[in-house]
Parts: sequence; structure tokens; C-alpha cells
Amino acid sequence: MPGLHKERDIIDGCLSGSRRDQELLYRRYAPKLYAVCLQYAGNTEEARDVLQEGFIKIFENLSRFSHEGSFEGWMRRIIVNTALERYRSRYYLSRVDDIDEVTEPEADPDNNDFAGLEAFDLLNMIMELPPKYRMVFNLYAIEGYSHKEIGEMLGVSEGTSKSNLSRAREILQKKVMILTGVTRRMVNV
Amino acid sequence: MFEREPNIDIVFRNGLKNMEVLPPADVWDNIPPMPVRHSRLRIITGIAAGVAAMVSLALMASWYLRSNNTGDTLNEITIASGAQQAVTIDRSTAIAGALPADLPPAVITDQASPVEPVSETTLTLAADEPLQLLATADMPQLQEAHGTSLPVNPDEITVISSRRLTGAAESLAPTLTPATGEATDQRFIVGASVSPSVGFSPSGQDLRLSELMNSEKTRATYTTGVTFGYKISNRLTIQSGVGLSSIGQTITGVDVFAGLSDFYAVKSSYLYSVETSSGLILAGNTDLFLTDSKDRVGTLIQGNMADPSKYPLTQVGDDIQQVFRYLELPLVLRYKVIDSRLGLNLSGGVAYGFLVDNMAYTGEGSDMVQVGHTEGINAHNLSSQFGLGMEYNLSSKISFNFEPVFKYYMTPISNISGSFYKPYSLGVWSGFFFKF
Repeated sequence: MPGLHKERDIIDGCLSGSRRDQELLYRRYAPKLYAVCLQYAGNTEEARDVLQEGFIKIFENLSRFSHEGSFEGWMRRIIVNTALERYRSRYYLSRVDDIDEVTEPEADPDNNDFAGLEAFDLLNMIMELPPKYRMVFNLYAIEGYSHKEIGEMLGVSEGTSKSNLSRAREILQKKVMILTGVTRRMVNV
Repeated sequence: MFEREPNIDIVFRNGLKNMEVLPPADVWDNIPPMPVRHSRLRIITGIAAGVAAMVSLALMASWYLRSNNTGDTLNEITIASGAQQAVTIDRSTAIAGALPADLPPAVITDQASPVEPVSETTLTLAADEPLQLLATADMPQLQEAHGTSLPVNPDEITVISSRRLTGAAESLAPTLTPATGEATDQRFIVGASVSPSVGFSPSGQDLRLSELMNSEKTRATYTTGVTFGYKISNRLTIQSGVGLSSIGQTITGVDVFAGLSDFYAVKSSYLYSVETSSGLILAGNTDLFLTDSKDRVGTLIQGNMADPSKYPLTQVGDDIQQVFRYLELPLVLRYKVIDSRLGLNLSGGVAYGFLVDNMAYTGEGSDMVQVGHTEGINAHNLSSQFGLGMEYNLSSKISFNFEPVFKYYMTPISNISGSFYKPYSLGVWSGFFFKF
């Protein structure tokens, strides 16, 4: 596991105050984390601020990382929390009708029907979602949080979280169908 | 092909999993350098080193003050003959006239107060002036007679003879003590010690605990530290200090594979746990897949969600090392059964330990991979120790100790209900010690 030790060396270097190691750590992980920022922020300006603020927090709290879990996962959580803080301070979640049940899509990990979709297309679709739908979809579908957890994070009820997720799925479903339909027609021509 | 609706969550989760986008170039420039912070272990070690240094300084200061007794009520008169040999007598004895009368000519120096600038006055006396008069003389009159102006405190007086005290040594034998510069009353001890040992675990109290212990092997343990001692009497010494103690065990038969994070995204702080006699290891390293054949490994991954055993993972170990490190503050009484150049000591005491490290890993050296930590380990413990060993005095100030020690943990290592893991160990406490 040479990569693991290298990562630890970089962290130790950062903790000892090495600016070079800090830059190394930033260069290594910033592209992945910036993609996360774009998912949550919705536009590049906001994403850039989240990334900058998030990395400052990462460096400030680096000594608290215990080397027991995934370092990338630890950084990702900081970035997501930073995005949530900014979201909470900027947007007011307009209430929608609460619903109790959400129809879960059938779990089928082997479904590769949409494997041809480009990551950038998917990212654009998420970025185009209204903020309240985008947040809930990211936290539920991508990060894996429960509606109860999301409700606590965003300060909304579980029902609101479910409603927003349901609406987000509908919108994304349509976009995906349109995009894949267009793609297939183009291939068939 | 597109007749049914896609699982939109999975489409996005998989599609965005490894996505990378280059951030704007100036973001890095706006991130300030991070402040330098020290880890908890480093802080604790620093505090311990500071305490050790302060105790050392206090002991050295105490020793210095004892060996340079120059207080306001100096009760000794030092006589040096030919600058080769110094003898010390009690002032009251001098006044009583114990000194021989044929010691002139003599030199009198005035020892100024330690806080005042050093000043020195030399008086040359006539050969027929008896020395005892110098000690008891009316100093102002003496100064006037010899043309000096500096005040001389008769309580602080050093008499230095310019000639050898011929025959004086014998006549003063009962009251004079040779001051060779070597401390004759060495009450303090300081030294560094190391104690490698082999740990043992008591047999399990129930069937499950016994099963677990059957697959666990104790590890070689050690304790290193700095020791301070105070000699209460010729044979009895009380010792303390600060040390770092390490105990642990090897959990055999657990296969550990790396690379899981490439196939399975997690949000929880751990995915796997391993049941051991000292508590539950939580595998916080979510890149690892753990499996065993003895039903000790638990997982949060449900069977209908994923089957990591089918992923192309890399095996990085087949056992788990469980290590606990404690910062120990011992208090030990040591009794000299045989007090000679090669002595025999009997010791007993207790040590209070603060947990400073709790880790579980697999592999060794550069292949070591952190697995996680053990849940429910007590942050403090109390251990007792008994020893019988030899002390070899290399010189009057330096000794070497070699002492087999039995150590028993009086409080359980873990606070998990039903688990009373109280290991014991047999080791050799050895080190070099300096007496002063």
C-alpha cells in the first residue's frame, strides 16, 4: 500500500508546517473535491468559494484526523458540511407538501443501461436543479444519508426531505430520458 | 432497452463517483498556510518531558544547596592547608579552642552574602597570634588594627592556612571531616530504564471468551521511562518517574484485504468490527474488507447491498495487532536486601496509567496498514508490580540494575461488560542510574 504511506507522509508534512506538502495535498485532492463543490453549489463562483473555505477548514482540522478512516472521505465530509453551511445561510427552504412515503427506485447495481452518460452531463443536470432539490438529492442519493439525518442537517422535516427528493428524481428522470433518447436517435441515424 | 425507468440514484452515484474537475487556478493562492499544531500524543509527551525536566532541576537544585550550605547562619569554618586539603570543623568547636595555637601566619577571607558583589579581604597575621582568636575576635577591632574597612561578619568566616596543618589532622580527628568534593550523602537517584516483558492473559471466564482467547496471542511488551528516586534510609528507596508502557495482543486468523473503497462508497465511520477478548475492534479504515472463519468479524454491509468477497481486492494481512500504550506514573519502594557492590533488591509498587494510544493494525514495518481502534478501552488503569533483582555499583555514583519484575493490571483493560481482560507480564527492569 505505497499510496497509503505517501498520503500519511503528506499529512505529517502539512502538520509540521510544510507549505509544499500542503500544496501537494491540495493538488492531489482539489479536482475531486471541486466536483463535489459543483454538485452542491450549482454554479462555479459558489463552488470556488466552497472549495477555498473547505480547504481552509481541512488544514485547520488536519491534526484531528485519526488515520483510521478514509482520508478522502473525511475531506469530502468537510466540503459537504461547508456547502451545507453556506446553503443554510443563503437559502430559505420553501415549504412543500410533506409526504410520508417515497417510492424507492429498484436497486439494481448491475444496471448499465445509462453507463454511456457522461459525468459532465450528470453534473450539469444536478447543477440545474433548484437548490432545495439539489441538496436533498445529493445528500440522499450520493452521500447516503437518511431523510431523518437530512432533515436535521437542513432544518426541515423528514416529509419535506422526501418531497424534495421525489421532485428531484422526477426532474432528473426526465432529463436523463431526454438526453439518452436524443443520444440513441443520433446513433441510429 | 429503455422501456423501464432508470434507477436514477444509482445512475448519478456511479456516474459522479470518480469525477474530477480542475478548480480555478487562483483558489490555492487564497488559502493561507495552515497553523502548526501538535498531536495529542506529542502534547502529552511534551508535558511529561517538561515535568521530568522540572523534577530533575528541582532535585539538582536541592543537591546543590545541600552541598553548598552558605546560608545566613553558617556554622562551619573551613580550613585549607596548602590549598591541597580542606578540613571542616564545627564553629562551636573552634570557639571552644580545639584548634592548635601554632598555626600562624593565617589568611582571613570574608565571604560576602551571595546576593551582594563578591568582596574579599586578606589579613596577614603575626606568627604568634593564636588561630582560635581569629574566630572569636572582635572583628571591628581586628579591622581597625590591620587597617581594613570592610565589614566582616563573625558568623561567616573562612580561615585559610598558608601552611600545612602539621599534626593538626590527628589532633582534630574527632571533629574534622575530610571534604574531598564528593558528596558522602547521596540521597537522590535519577536514571533511564527499559523493561521488555512478555504478557499473559488469564483464562476466559465464559465459553465465548475462551474461544476468543484461543485465537489470540500475547505480544512482547515494553516499558521505557525516566526514574527518580529518594533514599529514605540506607536500604530503603522510594522511586517514581514517568514511562511509556505498551501492551497488546495478536488476533490471528483474520484476513484483511485493501481496496474496498474503489468499489463501495460509505458514509459510516466503520464497516467492519472484530470481536476480541479485550473489546470490539472497529475498522475505521473503510478501505479494508475483513473476513474470518470463527464468526468474530461483523459488518454493516448487508448481503443484498454488496458482496465484497467478489471484488478484486489485495490481501494485506492475515492477523490484526491490537496495541494499547499508556503513559505511566509509577510509585515503587525498593529495599536493599544485600547492600554491597553487587547488591540484591526487593521492590514493589503501583503504577497509574493514562491511555495515550489505542490502535489496531495489520502488517509490519513499511507494510503496516492501520485497521482501526478497540472500542471500550479504559482511559486509565492501575497496575501493581513486584521485583527481585541485582544492583551493580559501577562507581560510587553510577549503578546498573537488572531486576526481573512481575506486573499485574489490577483494573480491567476494557470496560466492556463480560470482558475482564486483566493481563499480567513478566519482564526485566534494567537501566543505569546516577546517584547524587
